[in-house]
Amino acid sequence: MKWKIFSRKKRKDEWRLIYNPEGKIVDLVALPGAVIEGRLAGRYLMSSSVTKGTVIISGVSQKGILAGVDVAVDHKAASENSVEIAYQPRSGRASLRPAETINFEEMMLEAKSDFDPVLRDPDDLACILYTSGTTGLPKGVRLTVENFVSEQQATEQALDVTTEDKIIGVLPFFHVFGLSNVFHLALVHGASIVLIPQYSPGNLLKTITKHLPTLMVLIPTMFGHLQVLLERRKKGLPDSIRVCVSGAAPLPRETIEIFERASGCKVLEGYGLTETVSACCLNPIEGISKPGSIGLPLSGFEMKVVDENGKKLPSGEVGEITVRGDAVSRGYYNLEGQTRQSFIDGWFLTGDMGYRDQDGFFFITDRKKEIIIKGGLNISPREVEDVLSQHQAVKDVAVIGRKKGEREEIVAFVTTKKEISKKELTGLCRSVLSNFKIPDEICFVDVLPMSITGKVLKKELAEDYQDERRIEQDENGSG
Amino acid sequence: MNAESNKMKMDLVKAVESWAISQPDLVALYFEERAITYKDLNIKANRMANGLQGLGVERGDRVAIMLPNIPEFVYSFVGILKLGAVAVPFNTLYKGGEIRHILRDSGAKVLIALTNFAPMINEIRSELPALEQVILTGERNLIFAHPESTAFIQLIVPIDLISDVDAAYEKMGHILLDIVKEFGVENAWYKHRGSVRVGGDKIATFVISEVETVRVINVVLFLAAMDTRDFLRVVWVPPEIRDKVVEPLTSVEQEAGKRPSWKEVKTTVTDALKREFEIEIKEGAMVRDELFGYEKLCSLAGKVR
Repeated sequence: MKWKIFSRKKRKDEWRLIYNPEGKIVDLVALPGAVIEGRLAGRYLMSSSVTKGTVIISGVSQKGILAGVDVAVDHKAASENSVEIAYQPRSGRASLRPAETINFEEMMLEAKSDFDPVLRDPDDLACILYTSGTTGLPKGVRLTVENFVSEQQATEQALDVTTEDKIIGVLPFFHVFGLSNVFHLALVHGASIVLIPQYSPGNLLKTITKHLPTLMVLIPTMFGHLQVLLERRKKGLPDSIRVCVSGAAPLPRETIEIFERASGCKVLEGYGLTETVSACCLNPIEGISKPGSIGLPLSGFEMKVVDENGKKLPSGEVGEITVRGDAVSRGYYNLEGQTRQSFIDGWFLTGDMGYRDQDGFFFITDRKKEIIIKGGLNISPREVEDVLSQHQAVKDVAVIGRKKGEREEIVAFVTTKKEISKKELTGLCRSVLSNFKIPDEICFVDVLPMSITGKVLKKELAEDYQDERRIEQDENGSG
Repeated sequence: MNAESNKMKMDLVKAVESWAISQPDLVALYFEERAITYKDLNIKANRMANGLQGLGVERGDRVAIMLPNIPEFVYSFVGILKLGAVAVPFNTLYKGGEIRHILRDSGAKVLIALTNFAPMINEIRSELPALEQVILTGERNLIFAHPESTAFIQLIVPIDLISDVDAAYEKMGHILLDIVKEFGVENAWYKHRGSVRVGGDKIATFVISEVETVRVINVVLFLAAMDTRDFLRVVWVPPEIRDKVVEPLTSVEQEAGKRPSWKEVKTTVTDALKREFEIEIKEGAMVRDELFGYEKLCSLAGKVR
C-alpha cells in the first residue's frame, strides 16, 4: 500500500482509482465507508488531503451477500454454500442516505415529543385505501374519521376486546381487514398487538406459541396452513386463545370443523369490505353461529338483499347484498361516476350475491362483479387483461378466477396473432404486475365465447374450463 | 358518560392518548424482542406528527405508507391522524406502475417506505409532481455479489461536483450507457432514474446517496448471467417478493456475446469518467486515516450476528 500524507494541487483535477477486482464482500461497505469518513474527518483534521474524487472498481473472488441489518441470513447455509456475508451498518444520524430522501429515525430524533392533535370533524378523511375493482387500476376508497369510529363501536360489542387481550398482527395493515379489525381494534381498546411483518405458516405458529395470544384474526388460507401444521405436530393451540375470526374470503365448512377439532378454538366467520371499513357482518360469539353463513349484521349496520331494480327481496331469495351505516364509506376518491353507481341513497352495493335466512343470517352465493380474490387480496381481471393485450402477438384475452379447493387461481385465456410462448407472456406480467396478480395458468384457445355485443362471456369460459378439468379428473380416476 | 363522548373514545388518536395517560406501561406492540408501551407509542406518534408538520404537511394532505407490519407503520399512521392528515397505506407488493397510480391519484405529498424500495421510487419519482418528500426506514437492502457476474463501481465525490440530483442521475445514466455500448451492447436504454436496461431487463443499476458534503454513487454492472439459487438458500425471501429482490436481469455477456475482462472493465470505466468529468484518474491506494477506517468498518460489517 502506498502511504500518502500530503498531496500537491494539480492543474487538472485528479481523481484516484482504487482497483480491487478480487475483493471481499465487506469491501463493498468498508472501502467507500473509509473514504467517506476520511473526507468528512479530513475537513476538520486537515490531515490527509483529499483528492477531488475517488473511484472504486470492485469485484469479488467469492460469492457474497451484502445485507441490511434487518435481513435474516442463515449463516449455516451461507457457509455450506460458500457465500460470504457482510452487513450494512444501521443508518442513523449523519449516515449515508439516498439523495432526496429523509431518514425516518433521524427525523424522529429531531422532532419534539409532545403534540396537540389537530381537531378533526367526523367527516374529515382519515384514510384512503386502494382496492382492486372491475375497472383495472386500484381505486381509492374514502374512509372518514366517523367511519372508523363507528366500525370500532360495532366490533367492540361483538368481540368484547379489553386491555387483557393480545391480538396476532399478521394480516397486513395496508389491507382493510388488518387495519380495522386488528390495528384499530387493538389500539382503541388498549389491547396489545404481536406484530408479524412477514407471514409464513411456521413463523405464525412459533409466534402463537411464544406470545400466547387471546384473539386471532386471520384469512382462510392461514387457518388451512395452521391446521396442517398442528396435525403434523399432533398438538393443539394454546388455551389462551378465546376466539378466532376469519374473513376476506369464504372459509369452507370442513376446514372450520377440522381446524376447530385440531386447535380446540372456535372460529367466527365474518364478512366485510374496504367500503365498510372491514367487518359489517359476523357470526355471534355467544349463541348459534351457522357454518357457511357470514353471520348477522353488526350493530350500526343495516343489510338487505335487493333485486336488479333495487327492490328488497324476502328471506331466502338470492339477490345483491347491500349495506348501510355510519361505518360505510361515502364513495371513491376522484371517481364520481363509480361512486354514483355503487353508493345509492346511503346503501353500498357490494357486488356480492346472496340471501338472508329466516333467522336473519346472511349467506354469500356468488360474486356479481368480476373480481378474483386470492389470499384475501382483490385482483381485477381487467388489469391483468390490459397487461397481456399489450403484447403484439396477443389478439384477445380473458382472465377469470378458478376455484381450486379453498383457493382461487387466475387463469388467462388467450387467442394469438402469431406464435408466442406462455413463458414470454408470464414474463410480461411479471415485469409490471405484483406477483399475486400473475396468472397461475395461461391457456391458448382458438376463439373466446362472445356475446352479440362483443363482450367475452366469462361465465361460459369458466364452465367449459371446469368441464374439461372434470373430464381429465374422471379419466385419470378411471385409469 | 353520554353516548357521544362514549363514541369518541373509539377514535384512534383519542384512545391512544388516553391509554398513554391512564395506563402508560400497558404494552401496545410486541415486535421481535421488544415490548412497546402505549406511552412510547404516543410519544413516537407525536414525533411523527411534528416531523411531518416540519415538512409542511397540513390537515387534509395525503401521506402514503408503504410498510409491512413494523412499529414504524403504527407510529406513522397514528402520527398522520394526529396532524389531521390523510393516511394512504398501500400494498408493499405493488410494483412501479401500481405505485405510480396510487401516488398520483391520491396526490400524496409524502411517502414513507422501506429503504430497499428507494431505487424503485427513484425510477418513478419524476412522474410524481405532488410528491415532495420520501421518508425511508428499515435496513432491508440486499445485494448479491458474484465473481463472474457483478462489477461494482463506486464514486465518492464532493457534493458540489454536480449540484443537482436529477442532473447527477442523468449524467451517470449516460456514462453507464456509454460503457455498456463500448462492451458491444447496442440497444441499451436509460430513461428511469438509476436503471440501465436492455428491453425490460436491467443491465446496470445505481443509487446516488449523500452524507454531509459527500455524494456517493453506487453502481452494480452485470457482466455475465448470475445464478441466484445459492443466494436464496442463504437468505429467506418470501416467494411473493422474490421477484422484487431478483428482478429480471440481463448482462453484457448475454447481450453482446462476450464477458469483458477485468482489465477492459477498468479501462472502459475510467476512460468514460475521464471524458465526462474532464479529469485525470490515477491508480492509487488508501491513505493512512482511511486505512484505520477500513479496518474498523471491516470488523463492523463482517461481524456475524
